[in-house]
Amino acid sequence: MLQNEQEFIRIIRSRLEGTLPKDELDDIISDYSEHFMIGKANGRTDEELWSSLGSPEDVAREIRVMHLVKKAEDVRSCRNIFHAVVATLGLGLFNLVFVLVPFILLVMMLLFVFIMGVLFTVLGPVTFVYSVLQLLGIPSFAIWLSPLAGLFISIGMTTFGLLMIIGDYYLARFFYHAGIQYLKWNISVITGTERSA
Amino acid sequence: MNIQFKKGILEICVLAVLAQKDCYGYELVSEISKRIDISEGTIYPLLHRLKDVGHVTTYLQESAGGPPRKYYRLTESGRKEEHEQKEEWMRFAASVNALLEGKNDAAE
Repeated sequence: MLQNEQEFIRIIRSRLEGTLPKDELDDIISDYSEHFMIGKANGRTDEELWSSLGSPEDVAREIRVMHLVKKAEDVRSCRNIFHAVVATLGLGLFNLVFVLVPFILLVMMLLFVFIMGVLFTVLGPVTFVYSVLQLLGIPSFAIWLSPLAGLFISIGMTTFGLLMIIGDYYLARFFYHAGIQYLKWNISVITGTERSA
Repeated sequence: MNIQFKKGILEICVLAVLAQKDCYGYELVSEISKRIDISEGTIYPLLHRLKDVGHVTTYLQESAGGPPRKYYRLTESGRKEEHEQKEEWMRFAASVNALLEGKNDAAE
């Protein structure tokens, strides 16, 4: 493969097209072509410049991760954070342990709290209906409490369930924010240049 | 030196060079790679990030016998950041040095 300016820029462009907005990509490309141009004017060859820049794949990967993490920070969505996390994994095996595992555990925990919240919220009205049926003397299947207690407990259950869901929302927001800060720190320390080092 | 360690201090190096003078990309990269052995390509993404957060701005300036070059300049917030990071680094380096020298003394 030819290691020249055109090839370097072609690889960067092809890896980042569709991820970065066009003007941002052009801005980045202009930096690298200026780098090659001045370098060659100073008597260095394409190959020398290429090897000191590092592989264009690594450079593109790094730019991509930075962009996706920033996007996830600017626009909060499951999709954006998912893309940012997946992109970070490309920076090295290291991140399987330090990004993917905590991410999965967090998502599972948030999901668990949400499901429990929904369960309690739904069980409330169900208990309520059973208790009313029992109070009216209509035999429904055995309830473990006096019907009167059942009424109060059903209200408590729904309240508790809703609180869990609301709490889960705030937890998710907190972890989203903390997660972004962590990813930013992670990419400023860990790098895709390990291989070319 | 460990590559990951170097990556972490790259930001302060970029800020420090720009605190002395405005640079075009190639100049900045050469300035840093003269002293630190690092993949030069990673400096540009870092510059873009610093630009995104508002620590640096860019402007075009004519060069002798060539197309205009893109210069990077520290903003006010960039100067503040440079100052803070430098202080922090100095304290950190002083502690580590003291620790390392202490160890050598003990070994002798």
